[in-house]
Amino acid sequence: MRKFLILCTVLLSVQLDMLAQASIEVTGTVTEAETGIPIPGANILEKGTTNGVMTDFDGNYAIEVSENAILEISFIGYASKQIRVNGRNEININMENEASALDEVIVVGYGTQSKKDLTGSISVVSTEDFAQQPVTRVDEVLQGRAAGVQVTQAGGAPGGESRVRIRGANSVLGNNDPLYVIDGYVGADFNMVNPSDIESIQVLKDAASTSIYGSRGANGVVIITTKDGTKGEMQVSYEGNFSVSEVIKKWDVLGAQEFAQIVNERSDALGISPVYTPEEIASYSANGGTDWQDVIFRTAWGQEHKVNVSGGGEKTSYLVSGNYIDRKGIIENSDFKRYGIRSNINSEINDNLTIGVNINATRLENHNTGLRSGTSNPVVQALAWAPTTPVYDENGDYILSDPVGSFTYSPAALLYERNNDNQRNIANIIGNINYKLPVEGLSVDLNYAVNYVNGQGQSFLGNAVSQNNPGASRSSSEQITLQGTNSLNYNRTFNDVHKISAVAVFETQQFTNNYFSSTGNTLLFPSLGYYNLPLAESYSVGSGYTKWSLLSYLGRFNYTYNDKLLASIAVRRDGSSKFSEDNRFSTFPSFALGYVLSEEEFIQNLNVFDHLKLRGSWGKTGSQAINPYATLSAYNTNTPMAFNSGGVTSGIQIGNPGNSNLKWETTSQTDIGLEMQFFDRRLSVEVDYFKKETKDLLLNQALPSYVGGGTQTQNVGEIENKGFEFALSADIFNTELFSWSSNLNVSTVKNKVVSLGGIASRIPQGTGVGAGLSTTSEFMLMPGESLASYWGLEYLGTWKPGQEEEASRYNAVPGDSRYEDLNDDGTITTDDFQIIGKGIPTTTAGWNNTLAYNNFTLNLFFQGVFGIDKLNYTRGAAMTGSGDARQFILSDIKDRYIPGVNETSDIPAFSNSNVMYTQSSRFVEKGDYIRLKNISLAYELPESFLKETKLRLSLSATNLFTITDYSGIDPESSNIGSATDTAQGIDYGAYPNSKTYTVGLNLTF
Amino acid sequence: MKTFKIFFIAAFSMLLLGCSDFLDEEVNGALVGNSALSSEEGLEAALTGAYKAWGTTWGSGFLHSTSIAATMGGDDVTTHKASNKASFREFDQFNVSETNQRTQALYTGCYKAIQGANNIIANYENTKGNEEHINTIAGEAYFVRAVSYYWLVRLYGEIPLLTQAEYTDDLLSIGKSSPEEVYALIESDLKMAEEKVPNTKRDAGRPNKGTVKAYLADVYLTEAGWPLKQIDKYALAAAKAKEVIENKETYGFELLPSLAEVFENDPEKNGTRETVFQISTFRGNGSTTNANYGSAAMPGEESGWDDFFAELNFFHDFPEGVRKEVTFRTEFITGNGEVIPWQDSQTGHPYYEKYYIKGDIRTWSSSVPESMMRYAHVLTIYAEAQARATGSPDALAYESINSIRRRAGLEELSGMTGTEFAKAVVQERAWEFAAERTRWFDLVRLEMVKEANANKSPEDLQPLGEITKEDYTFPLPFSETSINDNLK
Repeated sequence: MRKFLILCTVLLSVQLDMLAQASIEVTGTVTEAETGIPIPGANILEKGTTNGVMTDFDGNYAIEVSENAILEISFIGYASKQIRVNGRNEININMENEASALDEVIVVGYGTQSKKDLTGSISVVSTEDFAQQPVTRVDEVLQGRAAGVQVTQAGGAPGGESRVRIRGANSVLGNNDPLYVIDGYVGADFNMVNPSDIESIQVLKDAASTSIYGSRGANGVVIITTKDGTKGEMQVSYEGNFSVSEVIKKWDVLGAQEFAQIVNERSDALGISPVYTPEEIASYSANGGTDWQDVIFRTAWGQEHKVNVSGGGEKTSYLVSGNYIDRKGIIENSDFKRYGIRSNINSEINDNLTIGVNINATRLENHNTGLRSGTSNPVVQALAWAPTTPVYDENGDYILSDPVGSFTYSPAALLYERNNDNQRNIANIIGNINYKLPVEGLSVDLNYAVNYVNGQGQSFLGNAVSQNNPGASRSSSEQITLQGTNSLNYNRTFNDVHKISAVAVFETQQFTNNYFSSTGNTLLFPSLGYYNLPLAESYSVGSGYTKWSLLSYLGRFNYTYNDKLLASIAVRRDGSSKFSEDNRFSTFPSFALGYVLSEEEFIQNLNVFDHLKLRGSWGKTGSQAINPYATLSAYNTNTPMAFNSGGVTSGIQIGNPGNSNLKWETTSQTDIGLEMQFFDRRLSVEVDYFKKETKDLLLNQALPSYVGGGTQTQNVGEIENKGFEFALSADIFNTELFSWSSNLNVSTVKNKVVSLGGIASRIPQGTGVGAGLSTTSEFMLMPGESLASYWGLEYLGTWKPGQEEEASRYNAVPGDSRYEDLNDDGTITTDDFQIIGKGIPTTTAGWNNTLAYNNFTLNLFFQGVFGIDKLNYTRGAAMTGSGDARQFILSDIKDRYIPGVNETSDIPAFSNSNVMYTQSSRFVEKGDYIRLKNISLAYELPESFLKETKLRLSLSATNLFTITDYSGIDPESSNIGSATDTAQGIDYGAYPNSKTYTVGLNLTF
Repeated sequence: MKTFKIFFIAAFSMLLLGCSDFLDEEVNGALVGNSALSSEEGLEAALTGAYKAWGTTWGSGFLHSTSIAATMGGDDVTTHKASNKASFREFDQFNVSETNQRTQALYTGCYKAIQGANNIIANYENTKGNEEHINTIAGEAYFVRAVSYYWLVRLYGEIPLLTQAEYTDDLLSIGKSSPEEVYALIESDLKMAEEKVPNTKRDAGRPNKGTVKAYLADVYLTEAGWPLKQIDKYALAAAKAKEVIENKETYGFELLPSLAEVFENDPEKNGTRETVFQISTFRGNGSTTNANYGSAAMPGEESGWDDFFAELNFFHDFPEGVRKEVTFRTEFITGNGEVIPWQDSQTGHPYYEKYYIKGDIRTWSSSVPESMMRYAHVLTIYAEAQARATGSPDALAYESINSIRRRAGLEELSGMTGTEFAKAVVQERAWEFAAERTRWFDLVRLEMVKEANANKSPEDLQPLGEITKEDYTFPLPFSETSINDNLK
């Protein structure tokens, strides 16, 4: 009671004090500290009151305040300032750019927060981190630049597929791609953003940050905020570059003469007649043969142009940007184009009401850039076709079949007679209204978005790749997503120490997908390609429709005490139409605490830390691993059958049995983090430990063929991901003349399948990639093992002289392949298969260095991946004569075991009793690598040289060198894209990443 | 007022988006539930789906060299010693692993067909529409189920026996049924089909009553041998085959006068009158293309795949004459027109001309119907079964076998004991149906596998280890035993 009285007295006296103050007029200009450019629209507020004004177009303000008032100056993108008036009439204010300020504002889900108040684990990638590098897509921006984020460019083609994982993979069935949120639109396609339009990227990693996205948060969230226009005079910038790419390296293959000799040696060893005559061999020696790799690979050109126009008046700002990319692939007849336009407009209708519209339209054109498997893959066929077979016959037509090498189509024919085109048109419109309610700190935010994706596909198979049965097809799809987000925000600080920020949101999303396709078989005029489908002997058509919706309530409450103790609670309740009524709604909560130790005297007294924060969080998230209608049993309807030789009849087959008990798979995550800053904040270190446990894991229980095959989706099983993240950023030198800043991040993820819910002791995961090479599924899900664990035989080298007796037990002789016989039963069967590696990495790292000297800037960016194995099927096929390959084409075959000549080699001899399995550790290789992802040198012309115009010239090289033991072309590329994590790391002629040299020009005026 | 406007927009949008049925599923375009079979059209579509399992190119069934691979234990076919034919060699060398992808395709196809047939059999009585049509559909479904089980029981012996279509969890732990139980179902299904299927085929790729009877005769013949050894079934086999022979006009069957016409393999023709049953194919659709004719049967010299070709001693012993000429390809013409006799070819084997597409087109994809049973087959069933049942071949038995021999350009048989005659018929079947997936099953039911393989040329692939009864059936695929322990 006594305390209360004292408090009342204090409050009263403050009030009285204020009344007693004389009021004065203060005027001045608000400018940007760095440039001195006036800032229009900055808020000037007399602290503790509602008395406030805004700076005019020239940054000037005038305000009537009490003599001893404190002015609070704030403007988006700048650090807020407090200045005591002390009776002065003129106060000019310099505002510091937020990035350079201590108190960075971080965009979190459904709001913003200052970095120092943050309790969650969030990696920030800002424009400067990639400004010096020729990046064209968000995934390239993220690669190596954010701790906890793994990015793999699986398809090396321009516009090819990449795989982004935040803190590992949680789902077997579902997609493990992070959720992308662009300007508030949830579930965006990152392809629609041109990196030059990006203001900042926030990667939300722990549950405290992601649970606000509920059933879609388990894979982490990438929030991308695009730039707003800068008020003031119109600014135009142009960025253009030209690039030239080439393949990183080529396979070492046999020349025609050596090949012919080895084929004959093999025939001899196997007791069949020789394929080549001595005359033929002599002629190859004289005239050479075909280097199929030269036929498919090329030096590829590319160009990119971006224009950005920005400006605005007192109330309204605009940014209009356009970009165009045209890049050829290093494999012939593959290319990618992108056209994009963006318009961000913001207008302050009055002090309380702001409206904004962001419109983006993007068109992506992919031409033969997809992931291809064996038979249709030119890279695979280039290593299967004999170097003794020419590309063209006397008439200049493709030679259609290879008498010695491959069983299937010519690499050249595959390049030019098989086309796969697709175009995606994405339109995204986001409208926003923000209104400050007449209650202090309370505002309402209404956000509506429409996302429209139109996909068009065309494919064509010419005579040479279709057994003279040319076909073509076209497909069309559209996805329409409507989103409505209504939120209520409350931000206020009480008594200077109790900072509260809260948000409550109601959100709905509705997804509609529609598609149809048509195929013309046996085209009458193949030259018309896919443009005139009716001119065909027969047709097939397909169509489909899905629709689902999500309805959510969510809220978050953050509390900060005296900048020292931080607490946060968030909860989201999601309802989804995918589930039956009883399982429809789920709740995803999270809790987080933070303790800013550097605010404590005992830490300050140490004089070590400029900033020290300990934080921890726990929460739950879900993932969208279920397709619409998975709870229902539907018929398969694409099952035509012929009853006569002239056509087909449509049929139906019983499909996968539905499961009405399906529910979300749920990931619980615990995170502990430590943030430190030293040496006047020139060195920042952030360390996190996390553990994610996914329960009710959705698994497709494989059904045996005798019940009709297929699968049933069930909520069983458990997966765990845990690891450390370490991020360091340092301003090593920072002088006027020379500076060096360096960012290093290292992350580890240990993935483990904890349980398969008893439905099986292990679940095979096939890919179809190795058709013709694999004996059984290449991957196995097994408790205790990582996802993407390879399943195969342990190769023990060849049987050696002296082991005849043991070898004979396996019907083998010295020189034959030797595999580990796990159960020692004298035969090699599936019982001897075991885990022989894993296709997802444990450790990823990035090291980014920017060195500036005068007007030169040098950027060196290294990226590394460790703890990954690759299943090198490219080598497997070319070294075992399997799949479509009939012979051995890599130069390594010269080092094989040859009885009496080379009896130490572990490359098996040519022998009738030799049994080879490509699915064995013989073709599992370490896929670790360190890569100089980017090196670039930029020169900015001195300002005096070009008035009011900035001109920057740059030279860069991407993937200049790679340190790796991997024998394939590129350890990064693989045949499996982003869709699954249970089967990663197979390289069977995957489209390799290229080495690219870029010269760029950047002009701002 | 402004506040009101904002709240109006917010409230309006909630009404628009958040109405009560917002989370209800809208199933457009998906076919859900058993109501699909309540109409004639639905029932017919389900039957089409059942047949489809037999004829999914590369995926399942008989439209690729898989079913020939599975019968390589016979002395008529072998495969490449090297190349990419490991999974084929396993059959020829009696070393079949449970992961062999070739048996998987047959196994999957038969069971998927069974599932479709089970669904029709369980539901056709509730289908509304033309009763005769519905009856025909049901009859064909019984036929599909019986023939599928017949393949399965001969390839695998003890197998899971299912007659329900819908999935229930307990199916994952069912055990194997004995061949007796499986054959009992096959017999009763074929008898149902015999009643319901009309005398005329609705389409070239469907059975008629004669087809069903022919299969029933074939089943009886097999039941009389290993493993059931129900000797009394020979008489039933003979009687059933005789019904077909006596009514061949009704069923539209005929022994074509020329073997060249039998093996013409014209994709334009919809099968021939010699066809008792075929799986029709259509090249215009990627999943209904026949990939068993053409490349698979052709040598590397002719851009073929060397999947299967003749065993050397089988070829040497094959009686000379017109049949030998149309059965085998002994000279290969390379891309640049060079003619290579089989002895000088890479594999050093003659190939099966009877699997060449008309015009020797070098392709793997065609609309050639996949022949499953020829009328000649019915004649030999009668001949063998009649002789074994009574101990003395009758005139029809002689006429049956001699009509085949005459066409082959061979002398007629006469004056033999029942045993001699039966033996001669079995040998005749080997020649007549070389590579037609008959020899292997004959060797198994008559327990002659070891004996026949002892005659292998040393140049051919040799069995790995001794041939035992264990080798008469294959292990159930890994996809089954890895899920259901009771199948091990």
